Amino acid sequence: MNTRPPGRSLRQRLADPDEATLAAWLLAPAFVFIAVIVVYPVLVLLWNSVHDARLLTGQPARWAGLENYALVIADAQFWRALRNTLVIVVVTVPGALVVGMGLALLANTAVRWKGPVRLALLLPWAMPLAFVGLIFAWFFHSDYGIVNDVLRRLGLPTPIWSASAMLTMFAVCIATIWKTSSFMALILLAGLQTIPRSLYEAAEVDGASKWTQFTQITLPLLVPSMLVALIFRTLTAIQSFDIPYSIPGPGEDTQTLAMYIHMNAVDYLDLGYSSALAVVMFGLSMLTTWVYMRHIRGEEAR
Amino acid sequence: MTAFTSGRALRIFAAASVILNGCFPALWILATAFKSEVELTTKPITYWPQDPTAANFVAAFRDQPLPLYLANSAIVALGATLLSLLLAALAAYAIARLQLKRRGIILAAIVAVSMFPLVTLMVPLFEIMRGVGLLNSYWALIIPYTVLNLPICTLILVSFFQDIPRDLENAAMIDGCTRLGALWRVVIPLSAPGVFTAGILAFVNAWDEFLLALSFNSATAYRTLPVGIQMYQGEFSFPWPTISAALVIAMVPVVIVILIFQERVVSGLTSGGVKG
Repeated sequence: MNTRPPGRSLRQRLADPDEATLAAWLLAPAFVFIAVIVVYPVLVLLWNSVHDARLLTGQPARWAGLENYALVIADAQFWRALRNTLVIVVVTVPGALVVGMGLALLANTAVRWKGPVRLALLLPWAMPLAFVGLIFAWFFHSDYGIVNDVLRRLGLPTPIWSASAMLTMFAVCIATIWKTSSFMALILLAGLQTIPRSLYEAAEVDGASKWTQFTQITLPLLVPSMLVALIFRTLTAIQSFDIPYSIPGPGEDTQTLAMYIHMNAVDYLDLGYSSALAVVMFGLSMLTTWVYMRHIRGEEAR
Repeated sequence: MTAFTSGRALRIFAAASVILNGCFPALWILATAFKSEVELTTKPITYWPQDPTAANFVAAFRDQPLPLYLANSAIVALGATLLSLLLAALAAYAIARLQLKRRGIILAAIVAVSMFPLVTLMVPLFEIMRGVGLLNSYWALIIPYTVLNLPICTLILVSFFQDIPRDLENAAMIDGCTRLGALWRVVIPLSAPGVFTAGILAFVNAWDEFLLALSFNSATAYRTLPVGIQMYQGEFSFPWPTISAALVIAMVPVVIVILIFQERVVSGLTSGGVKG
């Protein structure tokens, strides 16, 4: 359908281009935006990371080789921020999966109040992370928070949460799991609803217990939807910023990598050093994607 | 499914626990917002406001320009949503409909944007925005949010565009429509559910974003809601009743969006999740 008589004027061709040209024009705006907001910044990031680019000194950027990276490795606060970030990843990714699975199974059982149940799963997803952080900071307030009130009623010790890095990280993880598990539940619920009932009926006939049905039918069939959700959950956990930023802890002890990058870039205007830190996070994300992709390919090959 | 259905009580318990889990934090903040400063600082704490007061809401509007933050968030989120829908619709049409070599790779390149950590883009974008004088402006957020939403919008629109029968488009073109005319008059109206779904997800993403908003727009005039909410606290003071009242007001738009569009949101989230 694309054969047009040759020799049309430029004007005609602009007004009614052939399909391939039109396709290129339609794709161009999206790719121009991607080039400006993703590709070019990544190049700037790499360039900055090998330069001494401290805006506060007023000096022009100076070639620094791997100095920034050497500083990163020697920086105790970097390791602390990295450790905090990894704690959030290791605790909240499986945490969100387990809680999300529980919520999905419960929601799947609840045949009645479908509307309110769905709403209750959407609310945490839609609520800004920064709000969630503030709300949980209030929950864990040592004098007037509900957590300590419940602990007191149970006759348990009521700690000052914000005074200890470990307890603050605990609050951060709980808030993160609450915020992210409902999205996980929505994905798993959609997966659960595609599993044919007949599989369970057959298992029932064979005398399989509920637990066996869960581990032999439900879980394996959910793996594909789980993996995709887990990739994105892990990538966002590596970038944890909003919630730990909103829950006050002891000084900078509960800083995450993202918070440390933000501090160096925006507060100290040290673009070289913050870029080197950002490259480390970039590598961490790429590594995560690679590991998951390998796993997915392995699953498909089986 | 069948594995866990045994009795009405269990079903009610299941529904109630999901609802409680999802709504409790919002309800607790709602209750806090109506407590007076005195009630809030007496022990043991009260669960239900004993003497409900609206003073905190007055304070929330007095202490920070809350309507301004709401307006800024709305402008930024709506701007980014419309722009990303426009860019995604054009790209999705080319990918779904036109003769195109390597359409899979082109789609993958757009989706790959979502793999880049926002935090790492923040540092160079901060420098770039600073260089071109865009710090403290709506564009400083609209442009990056547009790009962040491109993957999900393009994915959703491609799958919807592919389902529109080609004959309808061809008929429109025989009637004298150009290709773009057919996209605007036939394909987009018929994909309205997809456009809505993509739009709502883009809107919520932009509405919730915190890191870029905090880093680029620190001036009061351009602060968005998630950043503005943090401004009630002083260095050593956390005026919790006021913060709670502000949070309640700030949550209203989000609750309205999910109340109206819940089915669209769920279908969009899960299709995006399954397709990656």
